[in-house]
Amino acid sequence: MKFGGTSVATLPRWQNIRELVASRRAEGARVVVVVSALTGITDALKHLCTQDDKGKRIEAAKAIAQRHYDLLDHMQLAVPDTLASRLSELAKLAEEGPASLGELAWSAQVQAQGELMSSSLGAAFLTHSGLATQWVDARDCLAAIALPNQNERTKLLSAMVEAKPDPSLNARLARLGDVFITQGFIARESKGRTVLLGRGGSDTSASYFGALLKAQRVEIWTDVAGMFTANPRQVPGARLLQKLDYEEAQEIASTGAKVLHPRCLSPLREPRVPMLIKDTNRPELEGTVIGPEVREHAPSVKAISARKGLTLVSMESVGMWQQVGFLADVFTHFKQHGLSVDLISSAETNVTVSLDPTENLLDSDAVAALASDLAKSCRVKVIAPCAAITLVGRGMRSMLHTLSSVLAEFGQLRVHLISQSSNNLNLTFVVDESVVDELVPRLHEMLITAGALRTDDSALFGSSWQSLYGSGETVVAADAWWRTACRDELLALGVQATPRYVYHLPTVRRQARELKSLGSVDRLHYAVKANTHPAILRALAEEGFGFECVSPGELKAVMAAVPESAPLLFTPNFAPREDYAWAFTTRATVSLDSLYPLEHWGDVFRGREIVLRIDLGRGLGHHEKVRTGGSGSKFGLPVEQIDAFLRLADTYNVTVRGLHAHLGSGILDAKHWGEVYGQLASLAERIGSVDFLDIGGGLGVPSHPGEARLDIAALDEVLRKVKSAYPHYKLWMEPGRYLVADAGVLITRVTQQKGKGSWRYLGVDTGMNSLIRPALYDAWHEIVNLTRLDEPATALYQVVGPICESGDVIGSDRRLPEAKEGDVMLIAQAGAYGKVMSSPYNLRDEAEEIILE
Amino acid sequence: MTNPIQPRLTQVFRFVRCSYADGVAELVYQFDQGEELIERVRFPAAPAIGAGHKQAFEAALKMLHLIAGVSYYKAGVPPKIEVADGPLDDTTASLLDALYLHGLAEFAYRNGLDLRGRINFPCIVSTHAKTAPALHLPKRTLVPIGGGKDSLVAVEAIKQIGGQATAVWVGNSPLIASCAERTGLPTLNIQRELAPGLFELNRLGAWNGHIPVTAVNSAILAVAAILYGYDSIAFANERSASAATLEYEGQQVNHQWSKGYAFEQMFSDWLHTHVAADLDYCSLLRPYSELAITRAFAKLTPYFDVFSSCNRNFKILGPKPADRWCGQCPKCHFVFLALAPFLPKPRLLAIFGRNLLDDESQAAGFDALLEYHDHKPFECVGEGAEARAAMYALSQRPEWQEDALVARFRSEILPQLDVAELALEPWLTPAGDHRVPDRLQAALVAIG
Repeated sequence: MKFGGTSVATLPRWQNIRELVASRRAEGARVVVVVSALTGITDALKHLCTQDDKGKRIEAAKAIAQRHYDLLDHMQLAVPDTLASRLSELAKLAEEGPASLGELAWSAQVQAQGELMSSSLGAAFLTHSGLATQWVDARDCLAAIALPNQNERTKLLSAMVEAKPDPSLNARLARLGDVFITQGFIARESKGRTVLLGRGGSDTSASYFGALLKAQRVEIWTDVAGMFTANPRQVPGARLLQKLDYEEAQEIASTGAKVLHPRCLSPLREPRVPMLIKDTNRPELEGTVIGPEVREHAPSVKAISARKGLTLVSMESVGMWQQVGFLADVFTHFKQHGLSVDLISSAETNVTVSLDPTENLLDSDAVAALASDLAKSCRVKVIAPCAAITLVGRGMRSMLHTLSSVLAEFGQLRVHLISQSSNNLNLTFVVDESVVDELVPRLHEMLITAGALRTDDSALFGSSWQSLYGSGETVVAADAWWRTACRDELLALGVQATPRYVYHLPTVRRQARELKSLGSVDRLHYAVKANTHPAILRALAEEGFGFECVSPGELKAVMAAVPESAPLLFTPNFAPREDYAWAFTTRATVSLDSLYPLEHWGDVFRGREIVLRIDLGRGLGHHEKVRTGGSGSKFGLPVEQIDAFLRLADTYNVTVRGLHAHLGSGILDAKHWGEVYGQLASLAERIGSVDFLDIGGGLGVPSHPGEARLDIAALDEVLRKVKSAYPHYKLWMEPGRYLVADAGVLITRVTQQKGKGSWRYLGVDTGMNSLIRPALYDAWHEIVNLTRLDEPATALYQVVGPICESGDVIGSDRRLPEAKEGDVMLIAQAGAYGKVMSSPYNLRDEAEEIILE
Repeated sequence: MTNPIQPRLTQVFRFVRCSYADGVAELVYQFDQGEELIERVRFPAAPAIGAGHKQAFEAALKMLHLIAGVSYYKAGVPPKIEVADGPLDDTTASLLDALYLHGLAEFAYRNGLDLRGRINFPCIVSTHAKTAPALHLPKRTLVPIGGGKDSLVAVEAIKQIGGQATAVWVGNSPLIASCAERTGLPTLNIQRELAPGLFELNRLGAWNGHIPVTAVNSAILAVAAILYGYDSIAFANERSASAATLEYEGQQVNHQWSKGYAFEQMFSDWLHTHVAADLDYCSLLRPYSELAITRAFAKLTPYFDVFSSCNRNFKILGPKPADRWCGQCPKCHFVFLALAPFLPKPRLLAIFGRNLLDDESQAAGFDALLEYHDHKPFECVGEGAEARAAMYALSQRPEWQEDALVARFRSEILPQLDVAELALEPWLTPAGDHRVPDRLQAALVAIG
């Protein structure tokens, strides 16, 4: 069991260690505890080593001693003799300085005191609290080996130990007792000098001990429950990885995860000793188990990571083709300029390599000098700043087919290099650094949606970081109305007739009220294209919503259902001239998103006030087809055409009263609206007449179980912040799906089943004719068997409809109870873009709509 | 409430009155008989005005009233200007005439207006020259901070000679605040609240466009110098600020006229004769080119992750380069290009978060800087010849020459240029007049 610096720095933490060790003892295990120095002590010792002045060194040693006295004081323990002798050794080392031992050996000896002291202190505490603990000098167990490429510095300050199982050590310890405490970070070399193990040294020590003793397992106790599928700071929804093999874990550690140093796994591989990572503060959490490769799981991507600050050097020359020694010459230059090469990819006439961000790279002329040297033999291009995005998982090549949406995403970016090594553990893309912060969370999401990262396999994947460690209240979806209050009613409706859409108005109202809590939003419009059922329109009008319509048909439907007082917005795209002319006869506020209408039909708009919809130049959202910003999208006026638009507007005396932008749908990260809002406001400042900013909708509704909901309080805070910077603009929003998605379900009945190879198809009586989102957007809808809601889900079904299209699949690989003909199935989150997008294709009966008040 | 007026049809712009109490200056304007437009300038923790400084303060405050009026005057550009408390002396009036005409030249050009002959501040010709006494102001300097590289170079130069200075800025830009904090100097943040009525006028179709904001800030700092006690105001306007952006129907249009040497001379003379003989107003960077300044800035690593010269108004800051640099505007283009010869490439790209010179869609923007196919942009950027020199320097460097726009420069633009005129070195030596007072001369030298 290994405990780091913060875990050994206070009395409560030591009490915690005592309990954990005792519990392992109770399981019958003998325990070796490996500890780091008290937090901050190693740095203090390092600092002491840099002091030339003896007085200052002695003073520093005293301060370090005081830290230990203070902790002992807390423990109400006298200074044990072992610690006292350590402290006097430190005082002596501080007084003598490096002269007699030599700079490096002295420095290693000084720094080693941190662990020697913490372990002495720990032995005293554990023994005193009733757990007889033997202090073991790690240097007597770990022998550093000499390697050919080592210099004196690496030999002494970042040594290696060859740790082969050593039964004699087991025997020696068995004679001494059952609980031992020893030091991380230190070892001894052949001449008997103390050496250090370098960065991540304490974890590595634990591994060495694990290997030497061929332990049952090595436990690393730290401040987080293990490794995650992505960096939680970038992807709060990242999942805890519960099982990894050594190679995967090492790959994840070396491509970004900070919890483990990559080198601490290799000692365990050969003796096949598993490692368990656990959270000291939350021992009840599962943690990550790293062990030998297991084959009982479907291949899955395990993690996605990003490393920023890379510089690429691309070298192009025909000279390299079938030329002996070209690469050797090229790499000599890299070595000469002190630049370390990481990734390499090559074609017949091009070699591209990546350089890690070192100080040498950033602050010297190394790159310029390198480029001059290389330019003599090839064409050089220096590409930066780049980031490497790596997918890690065993058997990556067998998963390529599931990565199509992910690869398509990369297809839209500048990818500078792709690398996949023969160990088949990773797939790395090097892209422009600027896209990474948005890309990684999106890819993580896509990997889950595409079934490449199988979060549905609960043996491999645990809870999300957000639900384990997220700040504040974790926003967990309430139990769906159809699962609880309305379940029987729905079942009765389904037995009566299917297919049917059922809408739950209390859910619509609840969502509406939640959005009304956004204090900085001055006006909310419901984007009616999501669902135009009159009862829903009326309910939202009662909640004070305005209505956003995209066609005369929608405007008419809304005007027929809601009172005259409800504000209307008309936001068409590529609409014909007469639509605009007609819209001006209603009370709707009209928006424009291109130059054409003013250029060609200026008189229609003469003297009018309009809203200008702007394309801010990038799109967001859960699927290519629901992205509405960026040059690839048909929506919005590009920013560079705004001046031309304003000149046209001036010509026809048209006043731009509002600016509007909409980035896409299904966005779950609050800060995007803040960015849109801020950008619109800064554009509005160039146009005097603007009164309001409409930041659109696109508020995401999570579909997968365990996914966090959009945090409305966080959104409110983001918007407030922007509003306080631009108080003179009113803020509008136009949510659609957010209001109605969860309020609607589609109920359908089982028709027949089919087995084909290992695949099982479950047929239901409606499909893409009623709900096209799965086929159109790869949308994931929860599907349940309402008749057998409480039965165990033992079958794995492809849920399909009756339409003669191979794409008529409502859900793939769904774990459901064994179904029977006539069972009522429920497809959730069908309240938005369900009925409104349905079609008479195949001339199947259309789904009826039912309202629950 | 009076009836809404049509700003573009107004006849008179009136300087109604100005006053000061408890750290707040109120500047009042009016179009025709419309609602009064009241601007407030807030001086934080303002001390009482020293007995001997009253007259100087009043003079500076009145000048602030007259100069800040440009933000309002431009809404209607009426044919007549009235000053409620009577005509001005002729030096004051001619400074204002020049400022309104040249400072609004870009505004006029963009709106298709001709202001020549339209701007006449009322004045009486005085027979004797005005003089102001020396006030023995404390020997310390107000250095306005803009968040960009220039003012940081000025700050570091003053710090280097051990001069006493305060970093000052007007408005609430978080970017400037974080730069000011990074300087380690004492800070002074003055707030300017535009009259709310101006937004209303904008809604009613007022003329809109660029105003000479440096002149307004200069006038605010003159008031601050008397109020808090500073003997000098050191801006960071460089040599190329004096160069015109374009010529239009016989008139020079310079986007940054109030950063130019002509305004600097007029305003500094005016302060000496009307406010205090020992209040100096200068630009510390005046003899330097943009390239000389970027070279100096390239050594100031601690500012790399906070500064931005981008002219997009970032009211909300984030940690990413894209939160400070839009990457699209002429300022981003120019600062990128001008820093490139003086910084290791990976370092420069880390500042901007992307490589603007390897992005073909930015070709037109860089062409404008090089004055190739286009005029220089309406922004505070260096001269075309300077940009060409920087681009030429990059085109000779292997680590840059394959980047899309550098390669394009080599193949398309360079053959049309005379290489003899593209050297970088001449730009790095100081030249031309400046008004840096003796006390700060050493700082001037420290930059080069």
